Amino acid sequence: MSAISLRDITFTYVEAARPALSNLSLDVPQGQIIGVVGAAGAGKTTLCALCAGFVPNFYQGDFSGVAIVDGQNVVEQQVADLVRHVGLVSSDAFSQISGARFTVFEEVAFGLENLGVPRAEMIERVEWALQVTHLQDLRDRSPYALSGGQQQRLVIAATLAMRPPVLVLDEPTAQLDPHTTEQLADLLRELTHNGTTILFAEQRLEWAAELAERIAVLHEGRIVTEGAPQDVFTDTRLLDLGIGWPRPTLLALHARDAGLWPRERPLPVTTKGLLEGLSATKDERRRTDVGQIEDRDVHPLPAHPLTRLPAHEAIVHVEHVRFAYPGGVEALRGVSLAIEAGERVALVGPNGAGKSTLVRHLNGLLKPSAGQVRVADLDTRTATVARCARHVGIVFQNIRNQLFARTVRDELRFGPRNLGYSAAQIESLVDHSLDALGLRDVADTHPYDLPLPLRRLVAIAAVLAMDTEVLVLDEPTAGLDTAAVARLTALIHDLAAQGKSVVVVSHDLDFCYEALQRIVLVKDGMIHLDSAWDALTSDQRALLDETVTLPIAIRAGLPRSFA
Amino acid sequence: MQSIYSAGTSPLHRLHPLTKLAGFLLVVGVAFVLPVLAVQALALLCVAISAAVAGVPGRVARMSLVILLPLLVSLFVIQGLLFPPTRTTMLFETPWLTIWADGFLFALGVLLRLLLLTWGVLLVLITTHPADLVAALEGIGLPRAVGYVLLVAIQLVPDMSARATAILEAQRSRGLNTDGFVRRIRSLVPLIGPLIVGALADVEERAMALEERAFTASGPKTTLRELADSGAQRVARVGLMIVLVALIVARFTVLRGLL
Repeated sequence: MSAISLRDITFTYVEAARPALSNLSLDVPQGQIIGVVGAAGAGKTTLCALCAGFVPNFYQGDFSGVAIVDGQNVVEQQVADLVRHVGLVSSDAFSQISGARFTVFEEVAFGLENLGVPRAEMIERVEWALQVTHLQDLRDRSPYALSGGQQQRLVIAATLAMRPPVLVLDEPTAQLDPHTTEQLADLLRELTHNGTTILFAEQRLEWAAELAERIAVLHEGRIVTEGAPQDVFTDTRLLDLGIGWPRPTLLALHARDAGLWPRERPLPVTTKGLLEGLSATKDERRRTDVGQIEDRDVHPLPAHPLTRLPAHEAIVHVEHVRFAYPGGVEALRGVSLAIEAGERVALVGPNGAGKSTLVRHLNGLLKPSAGQVRVADLDTRTATVARCARHVGIVFQNIRNQLFARTVRDELRFGPRNLGYSAAQIESLVDHSLDALGLRDVADTHPYDLPLPLRRLVAIAAVLAMDTEVLVLDEPTAGLDTAAVARLTALIHDLAAQGKSVVVVSHDLDFCYEALQRIVLVKDGMIHLDSAWDALTSDQRALLDETVTLPIAIRAGLPRSFA
Repeated sequence: MQSIYSAGTSPLHRLHPLTKLAGFLLVVGVAFVLPVLAVQALALLCVAISAAVAGVPGRVARMSLVILLPLLVSLFVIQGLLFPPTRTTMLFETPWLTIWADGFLFALGVLLRLLLLTWGVLLVLITTHPADLVAALEGIGLPRAVGYVLLVAIQLVPDMSARATAILEAQRSRGLNTDGFVRRIRSLVPLIGPLIVGALADVEERAMALEERAFTASGPKTTLRELADSGAQRVARVGLMIVLVALIVARFTVLRGLL
């Protein structure tokens, strides 16, 4: 019997113009792990809510069809009674913290208390959930004192502890770093071996391809195709629908055009498939002695590791900066960094490395305990943040508290108005930013009425409208679909072409590789590596691989132009 | 609201929350049912000794001072100087100031009561983890939804202050000048709106989160927090409550004419 059985589901939210799901049918056998992909607004979140019983009894609207999950009719059952059958991890971790528990341990136990699980078993289950999500060391922390990624793991732990036979996850990796993302895949795979049925919606196609036994593609509330990842992720319709292909598949496609991937060999959908395919090609060539392929596919390494142009005057100078928080924790321990006009810099590093602290120094929100930060001709210790903001615009990671206007357009006006631009200039900057991020259609909407990924674009546009020389983006791709990421990449290239600098803090190494040219690794409050992507030495690659993983293209040894 | 709990291992910390509450109720009973200065002073001494045992006398004293000082000053000025109930006995007199004994004693009585009340409450809250207190109250019939709201309210202040910090950071990064006193006050206006809207926008998601975590599921509930209790404490609680009831009954019967 199917664990999830959806028959001809059509669902329209109250006051919505078109159905979020239409004539959707899907069967997921027990123990299967199925990934749902689709562009923003395709209906992924609604499908997750439906499978977890929140549609139509929590989110109300016009519903038709039959939905059976773990033997329970979703329409006839109350959400409260369905929790014993299906667990949901929504994409926004912060809002799923109960707020009534003071420690991570108690927070995970909260659901078990509500289910009436005996205390001894409760403790055992919480211990297990903390262990598999690697949260043991944080057990006595307040849930609110955790980073975004840790909160996401906490919510996953809290749901796992309830041992639902069916587990639904909506973009579970949006805030996780690469190593944690891999750990989550291992964990979910193990759960399915024990009979748990898993449905997840995801933007990271590579991750979905690695993990899922089956992929369903959602477009405008319909399933347009489904099947094995190998078949679905090489279907050209995905390119037409703006969903895209996983990176290994795209890289192999470029490699095929360059003669590095035989036409008769199917395109891979996972990194492993790509690497194996490429090394097989290499072996064959070696055996048949054709050409100097070795030289062509090895990454070009210049003689000197630093290839930055010293001709430009730096806009931001960070010099020997140390910073300790009032509690005494030294977050920065001697950081020096110069950002020149037109540079595209990736700031990477594990959680808690000091990246966010460093970012807050770039416009004077934090003042160095020792050392100096200069922005244009201003010293941040004496200049106001408002003055530094003319030169450096920062978009923070947490979108929740960055939007404060009644409409998207007003939100975009806020910055340039503070900077004292004329009314005509403000309108022109706002229009330009709306177009750059494709927000023209929602210009008159309240920012809080938009889904989180769109709100992130609004936050970026609001800072973009300030027309600063430096734009700093903290985790800009979290939760964005392929089309939005492509738009962002194009925007970054445009800005650099205009001589503006972009600094991106991100866990998404592939995005960093595609959109940015320089990489800076921050770890334990220090810079461990600062180089152009094209000038990385093998030691530096090893260091990156160990701390934050390497972009797929570098792992595959493919030229940068392929990415 | 914010938790003032301070972790510890004193005997008072280890008492069951309901035992502490029973003790507190008795102290309140004494304060309001037996308006005899000596008895009230004795009760206050007991509370003070308990605070010392719990290792938090300084904290209790400081916090009660902050809460009561404005009230006490006005009380003594009004009752002692300006409007004494009767002007029969003069306590002392200067050329420009007269303190009347009646008013002074009345004010002293009120002071003792207020001190008993605040010291008692503070002592219970400082030595009891809020989650334990709520769990204990739920054990004697407090609805779970009310308990939830109480605990959420306690976490509201740190949550709101984190939000306010983040909003201010974002606004300053977008060129809002908040330096200088006047500007800082003025910058509160664009802060308050998003602070409230943001918190309200989370309400639906919070409701969904509670459903996900089976808050409304049917069937019996269990608790992770185990409250250490003992037979002696149970007997003591009943005893304290009997004394309290007896006190109230006595106040309106036997002691009626005396007080």
